[in-house]
Amino acid sequence: MGGDRTIYGLFFFGLALTAVVIVYPAVYAIELSFQNAQSFISEPEWVGFDNYVRVLQDAEFWNALWRGIVFAGTAILLQIVLGIGFAMLLDAAIPFKRAFRGIAILPYLLPTLIVALTFRWMLNDPIGVITVAMQDLGFGTVDWFGSPTLAMGIVITISVWIWTPFVTVAILAGLQSVPESLYEAAKVDGASAWQRFWHVTIPQLGPVLTVVVLLRAIWMFNKFDIVWLMTGGGPLQATEHLPILAYRKAFQSYDVSTGATVSTISFLILAVAVLIYFRMFPLDTKD
Amino acid sequence: MKTELEVPLSSRLALYVAMAVTLIYSFFPVYWMLVTSVRDPKVLYNQVSLIPGPFSLESYETLLAATDYPTWFTNSVLVASVTVVITLIFSVLIAYAVTRLHLRGKTAIIGSMLLAYMFPPLLVAIPLYTIFAQIGLANTHFALILSHCTITLPLGVWLLWGFFKQLPIDVEQAAMVDGCSRLGAFFRVVLPLSLPGVTTVAIFSFLLSWTDYTFALVMIDSDDQKTLPVGLETMTGQYELRDGELMAGSTLIALPLLVLFIFLNRYFIHGLAAGAVKR
Repeated sequence: MGGDRTIYGLFFFGLALTAVVIVYPAVYAIELSFQNAQSFISEPEWVGFDNYVRVLQDAEFWNALWRGIVFAGTAILLQIVLGIGFAMLLDAAIPFKRAFRGIAILPYLLPTLIVALTFRWMLNDPIGVITVAMQDLGFGTVDWFGSPTLAMGIVITISVWIWTPFVTVAILAGLQSVPESLYEAAKVDGASAWQRFWHVTIPQLGPVLTVVVLLRAIWMFNKFDIVWLMTGGGPLQATEHLPILAYRKAFQSYDVSTGATVSTISFLILAVAVLIYFRMFPLDTKD
Repeated sequence: MKTELEVPLSSRLALYVAMAVTLIYSFFPVYWMLVTSVRDPKVLYNQVSLIPGPFSLESYETLLAATDYPTWFTNSVLVASVTVVITLIFSVLIAYAVTRLHLRGKTAIIGSMLLAYMFPPLLVAIPLYTIFAQIGLANTHFALILSHCTITLPLGVWLLWGFFKQLPIDVEQAAMVDGCSRLGAFFRVVLPLSLPGVTTVAIFSFLLSWTDYTFALVMIDSDDQKTLPVGLETMTGQYELRDGELMAGSTLIALPLLVLFIFLNRYFIHGLAAGAVKR
């Protein structure tokens, strides 16, 4: 058929563009990690695994990796727990359901910068609304960004605030596909509300949860903007995880190769973690 | 599904409390942004009041007078619109071809799209910036648009692939038997049927591009090329904008999104539920 040719042609053009935009940069990043590019325009030399050896021997890297795991792990856990809670609330018989659902999803749509500016203002010392509320509650003036633990707590809390709606919506869709008859049967068997939740709802949500946890884990592990905007990695590198380390190396020290190496290793760690995850929780391959 | 009346009063009360808490939790920061932006800057640093007022548009006036806001706004609109157009054309093409044509390595194509989801932003940003710097295209909107496409294209292909897969192939074949070419069948049958999917992709490409901070931070250096988020952020240090002006600027960035959200609510939810929005 004549049209087929056009379609094939356009398709391969599209594919080529995708390759240029997505595959080529990734391959080039790996190439940079084997070179010693000291700026963005210098002529780099091939140095083999030197960058990898140097990065892996650096305590800075391992600290950043660990902080990233703490940041992503805690944030995901809280997002899932809260997301399930919100979804069950939205699934219940509540008034103004649509409007309420809209407001519950709103944080997810806001640009990260706006969220960061707003929270920075709310945590302002001495006149931010949260700072003042803490004073009124008798906690004194909290130095939010001065303490390593608090700074980490803040970036985790804000990440939970922004990205929980993703979990909420996915779980809500999952909840609506749980057959009512399962709940009825459990009720007849005398299961309490809590037992119905653990033994009916959660297992039925299994496939949705598998995907949601996977996606959130990937995105939280790679998250750069909110941490950079809230703390810049500080205080004293207390919130510096791998994305910030890579950014600092490449765009502040102009050590492009080290930045590329950190990103590549970070991607490899993620890829291995995802493969292990698929082993443990195989996705349903119905389609 | 139970009706409201069957639920006992005590658990209905608990439900309302939970609703109120969720509402405050989700909406308070947005509320605070709006309230701060229209509050008289003179009282901003003297007292904290949860009730709006005293009203003043001074923060907006100062913001527009002190910054290149209109330029950044135009830049943001330009970058986001071109990103949407490129994403739509190519994701429709690729997704359609993958579901309808006999191609080897179909799964490899879809798989590589999913893999792109896993790339840390800096794994893409560092090499892209290096490439653009070498060919003299760093600090251009073209560079920014292409870098946005690294996120929006996989998103579009993935979402539309799910959509086209579900469209019954018979409808197209019937149209082709009736004398439509494949292209004709595509434009007259497939595209109208998949309009909700295409709309979802358009909305989310726009959203990702409009809200992007990371790529704009890396790709753009000069003030007149900046998009809204990065433009506003640089103001926090350089011109020492006060919080009232920053909240006014934030409100202006959020406003188009809020309007979109109110009118296109169901597409947002569809896209979110499809798990397709990398953020």
